[in-house]
Amino acid sequence: MKLRPQHGARLATLTLVVIVLAAGAHAQVINSGASTISLNAVLNDSITVSLSANAVNFTLTQGSASNPGSTAITATTTWLLRPNVGSLKVYAFFASSTSALTDGAGNNIPSADFQISNNGSAFNALTSTVPFNGANAGLQLSSTPILGNNRSGSRTDNMNFNINLVPLPNLPAGTYTGTLTIQAQAI
Amino acid sequence: MAMTFAASMASAQLNSGAQTIALNANLAESLTLSLSANSVNFTLSAGSATNAGSANITATTKWVLKPGRTAVGVYAYFASSTAALTGTASGATIPSSAFSITDTGAGSGGAGTSGALSNTVAFGVANSGLRMANVGITGTNMNASRTDQMAFNIDLSGGTLPQLPADTFTGTLNIQAQATP
Repeated sequence: MKLRPQHGARLATLTLVVIVLAAGAHAQVINSGASTISLNAVLNDSITVSLSANAVNFTLTQGSASNPGSTAITATTTWLLRPNVGSLKVYAFFASSTSALTDGAGNNIPSADFQISNNGSAFNALTSTVPFNGANAGLQLSSTPILGNNRSGSRTDNMNFNINLVPLPNLPAGTYTGTLTIQAQAI
Repeated sequence: MAMTFAASMASAQLNSGAQTIALNANLAESLTLSLSANSVNFTLSAGSATNAGSANITATTKWVLKPGRTAVGVYAYFASSTAALTGTASGATIPSSAFSITDTGAGSGGAGTSGALSNTVAFGVANSGLRMANVGITGTNMNASRTDQMAFNIDLSGGTLPQLPADTFTGTLNIQAQATP
């Protein structure tokens, strides 16, 4: 049996279509729908201050301007802050400006006569009003601008201490105790 | 002899022509994936390699396939490798390579694959995904299912991530399956 030429062409076309369809049945991958999981991760801001020691002793000399502490103390401040924070400040302060140290018998050493030299700077008295505790009882030790590259960071403040007894020439002999607080604030 | 002939005539059958009914039953191919939950929270610790997600999520993949399919893959991926999660206030980003999945697979194909989402997979963009499972399809599992129980972790110890600012970071993880070829 002979095929006419046009019939032969149709058969060839049909055969090609069948082959293409057969191949197409498995040529495409099938995908499931994409299922989503919402992720919410919170990195909280934080500031911590740690001290290298928690006690300083002074051997006082009556009327002397120089009564250094027995040891320096380093405050290490570590922070992790949000972008809207402009600066981080470290403060030293007493609860009372009039009785930074006391003998418990009514004799006091005011905060104005307590001095800190921070990181080798000159000694400064604690006479400023800082964000913490009473008026005129503190000192800002440092201020660190917070920029894009230090929202996570740390600093150290190495403090040397002195008690100036020049304004207190009549201070009676005794043991004077007090508590100095170091605290940081980001604003 | 006459009796036998008569009986034979009584049982003679008359048949119509056979009419045929063409039957065409189509069992369509299907591939579905469902999740046991759709959100995970993380409480991050700066610089820490271990920041686990609040919950595991199980992906259940079911399929009905035609002969000729050879594999079903289950994938996790992000739309970006550099910004899998982004800080809402800072714009800081956590890359997909810091995000990892521990996959406990079960069912057809068995155990899954764990790791960071740092591979180029069938979905998403380059270096942003992980193929959690690759199930070979044979005559015995053309209609089957598997589960992938996913535990999540964010590693903040690498590169510049220890300097990540405090912020709330959000992102979308995609889970999707594919049958090939």
